[in-house]
Amino acid sequence: MAAHDITPTRSVLLELKKKIKLSQSGYKIMKMKRDGLIIEFFEVLEKARAMRAGVASDFQAAMKKITIARAVDGEIAVRSAAYALQNYPTVKLSSKSIMGMMVPKVEAESIHTSIVNKGYGVIETSAYIEDAAAAFEKLLETLVRAAEVETTMKKLLDEIERTKRRVNALEFKIIPELKDSERFVKFRLEEMERENTTRLKHLKKKGAAAE
Amino acid sequence: MEIAVIGSDEFALGFRLAGVRHVFVADKDNYQEKMQEAMSNADIGVLAVNADDLQYLSQNYKAKILDSIQPVVVPVGGGESDLREKVKKVIGVDLYKTEDE
Repeated sequence: MAAHDITPTRSVLLELKKKIKLSQSGYKIMKMKRDGLIIEFFEVLEKARAMRAGVASDFQAAMKKITIARAVDGEIAVRSAAYALQNYPTVKLSSKSIMGMMVPKVEAESIHTSIVNKGYGVIETSAYIEDAAAAFEKLLETLVRAAEVETTMKKLLDEIERTKRRVNALEFKIIPELKDSERFVKFRLEEMERENTTRLKHLKKKGAAAE
Repeated sequence: MEIAVIGSDEFALGFRLAGVRHVFVADKDNYQEKMQEAMSNADIGVLAVNADDLQYLSQNYKAKILDSIQPVVVPVGGGESDLREKVKKVIGVDLYKTEDE
């Protein structure tokens, strides 16, 4: 809304004053929210960096172990062990709130399976296969934790971006435009008042001359 | 909810060994199709993907799946480039930069 498109009346001026007050308090709250989110983000960032490094190293270790198992026991033995498994890992997805923003909470329910419950015979499979399975179970555990932290970080980043955009819009667009409009209405009202005073003086002079 | 994995047969085998039963074996040609299938499965809570395979997806779809909450998509292997880029864009500073870089 351009400053000169509005009707210069007292009610509009009051309305504009109210809007400016509301925008300024909204701006302050948004700024506080943005700062709070950034503090929260820095806490999550450290965790995410450590977690990412953990995923990378666990993945490398697991791939190394499965390669050894395939080389020693052969592709078929590893595959048959993999297909014989009866227990499968599950996760529990819930949500928690960070400054009014919902983020997922991922909890691993059952990732590690004891050797007797695996579904394949202990005698037929070698220790290399067991090693590889343990390494992948460890990787899954790290993945589940990384899933929670990384998603929280993504959501925090999105929220920071949104809040920053709102703060900037209020600071550089909405509040200055409202102030411009207020100034325009004030000047127009003052001008109208001056015109009225001159008109009254003129009438008074005319009336005095007629008498 | 369960953990799922999508990628090449070699990549998925290890996860199978850890007990993951939702395995989507995909190659370059049918990767996006398999990904859509995995994303539409309501039983899946966490989806592990090979970070290098994400290049087979269109830019828009890749951004969409990486922002997904249910299932949560976790890239394995590769660097932290997506998250790193996002941090750089939003905060304005490369916070992942180490002293060696």
